[in-house]
Amino acid sequence: MATHGLDGLVLLGQANVAYATGARVPAAEPGRAARQRPVAVLTREGEAHLFTAFPEGAPPELPAAHVHGALATEDEAGARALVEVVPAGRVAFDEYTMPVRAALAGREVADASPVLGEAKIVKTADELECIRRAQAVNEAAIVDVAAMVRAGLRATELSGRLLRRVFELGASANTVDPIFQVMPPSVAAGPYSASGGVVFPTPTRPRTLAAGDVIWVDTGINFEGYASDFGCTWVVGGVDAHHREQFERWRTVVDAALGAVRPGATAADVGRAATAAAGGRRPWLPHLYLAHGIGTDSAEMPYIGTDLGDAFDDGIVLAPGMVLVFEPVIWDDGRAGYRAEEIVAVTETGWTMLSARAEAPR
Amino acid sequence: MTGHLDRVLAEMARADVDVMVLGREANARYVSGANRLFLAGTRAFAPGCAVVRATGAVHLLSVTDEGVPAEIPPERLYPLSWNPVNLVGAVAAAPGANGARRVGVDGLTPLFEQLLTAAFPESDLVDGEMLMRRVRRVKSPEDVAALRVAVGVVEDALGAAVEALRPGVTERELLGVFEEARCAGDAPVPAFQGVFCVVDGGRSRRFVGDRVVESGDLVAMRAGALVDGWEGSLARTYACGEGAAEHRARVRDWQTAWSTVTGALGPGARVGDLRAAEGVTVHGVGLGYEGLADDEVLEPGMVVEVEVERAGVVGADMFVLETGTAEPLTRFPGGAP
Repeated sequence: MATHGLDGLVLLGQANVAYATGARVPAAEPGRAARQRPVAVLTREGEAHLFTAFPEGAPPELPAAHVHGALATEDEAGARALVEVVPAGRVAFDEYTMPVRAALAGREVADASPVLGEAKIVKTADELECIRRAQAVNEAAIVDVAAMVRAGLRATELSGRLLRRVFELGASANTVDPIFQVMPPSVAAGPYSASGGVVFPTPTRPRTLAAGDVIWVDTGINFEGYASDFGCTWVVGGVDAHHREQFERWRTVVDAALGAVRPGATAADVGRAATAAAGGRRPWLPHLYLAHGIGTDSAEMPYIGTDLGDAFDDGIVLAPGMVLVFEPVIWDDGRAGYRAEEIVAVTETGWTMLSARAEAPR
Repeated sequence: MTGHLDRVLAEMARADVDVMVLGREANARYVSGANRLFLAGTRAFAPGCAVVRATGAVHLLSVTDEGVPAEIPPERLYPLSWNPVNLVGAVAAAPGANGARRVGVDGLTPLFEQLLTAAFPESDLVDGEMLMRRVRRVKSPEDVAALRVAVGVVEDALGAAVEALRPGVTERELLGVFEEARCAGDAPVPAFQGVFCVVDGGRSRRFVGDRVVESGDLVAMRAGALVDGWEGSLARTYACGEGAAEHRARVRDWQTAWSTVTGALGPGARVGDLRAAEGVTVHGVGLGYEGLADDEVLEPGMVVEVEVERAGVVGADMFVLETGTAEPLTRFPGGAP
């Protein structure tokens, strides 16, 4: 805030409020979440005020006098009440509802995203530990789900076992429809694709699994405010030689990318290393990315390989504490492919794993 | 789906809105019928869907037609981009959008306000969320049928959790049973994270923990599911085994409050009046949670959820408003000890 010359920061995004104050709210579909959203108001002096319908989720270190009742930012009265507590001077918002915009009555507000982006991109040791624990819960639950995969099962039964296990194992929330997508052998055999790449991810349907089905798994939970991201590829009935070979190529790509991860390297350097290891073709889905960050959001900066292009990636310089979730894809059109995810944190000398390392197709 | 779009177009005409740019998933689903990937929590505004009044066309952010109704051809899909300029550009390039004077949005960020203002230089940005609220509040018979399906799924799943309620079970285990049962009903998407919490000295909690349920405990249960986007949800409070004597007065107090508010529920009731009693909440239900203002008056076709919470004892049901009456959609047996 100081660097950006701000006198106040007003946050309405749930993940941003969680980042700035540590406040938890129950997970909910976006419509409910919007109407029960927590709001954080930060002052330049370092005071944080939390407005929430869920005081139970306020962190103990926040003074009780700074925890207030919810502000109904969807309604005129609540929006006016929010504007009344906005600090004087130059203030940034991450987002706003139309009633809040009306209540601001033309007052100029700055964009909070540069401030948040700079703060969030580098994690503290505590944050890294939270991500590591979230991932450990997710991975432990997946072990039980993997054990039940067989022909005749419905994909939604996999969702059920995963969700049951993550909560039993201590997850704070589930944040995404767990994806167990049966992949087509080729792009043409699958649904229409605007990008030319294979379509992924799509919502999990109650499709009955058959022997030989290639399933791309992508799941994420929240643990004490921090996200996990687990991806892998399963083959119903077991992998054969060509699946193993695809996995080996995926491993080679991730290892090549990791070889480029060190403080001072750019995102573009990492993307180039992965591409070279894949024989010159970008080994990721064209509508997504090679890697993304993770924190209180399941995907956040830094991104590598998005359609923002090489110039954008050239501008991202890796620093200790940044987190990268690698999710390259090996695709052999006609023979499906292999996709998995692996998470590392950048260290002073290179990187350290936050997820388990895949040594064989899982 | 077409019925929904027609309603939105009619309301756009009435409110003189040329283009709607929607970031909220339920709004996008209402106009498009598309089933996109579920993510929990608030999402900052981004142009995920647009409706152009001049053409009546829906344009949708999607890299595929999987889950997208056939009425929306591939040329009306625009791809995911990490560059906000591209997303706004795709909407502004939609046939008939050029020259829009009034653009409805259901939220904003400082960046998208700037980009939309630049892309529609002649236009005012107006409250599209209010417009969508007006359109969505009254349900068609097909909408109510879809809500009944969701109610069936969530009631079955809640039944599994109630069956698992016995001394020694943890709150987390009850939530796990509910989650697995909901998915067994082919509804992997929650409306909200289930609450299965021991009522502690009149204190209500929303986050399950490692707490072990003991004989005589009251357990507050809140459960919800989305099926094809439509919400089924309800709340009950059950005693584990024989409810302790101290809980009985609490439950009686809850029952009195419940009878009072549901007795007043019906077409013509003002939402603020229903909410006036302690511990009463009332909101709309459809494609998820729908907000209702205090000054709104209930009318036939609306679907509302009424919740009463007194000293930690909670119960909630969904009702469809009909001529002269409010019919419960949720019919799960009541839980008092």
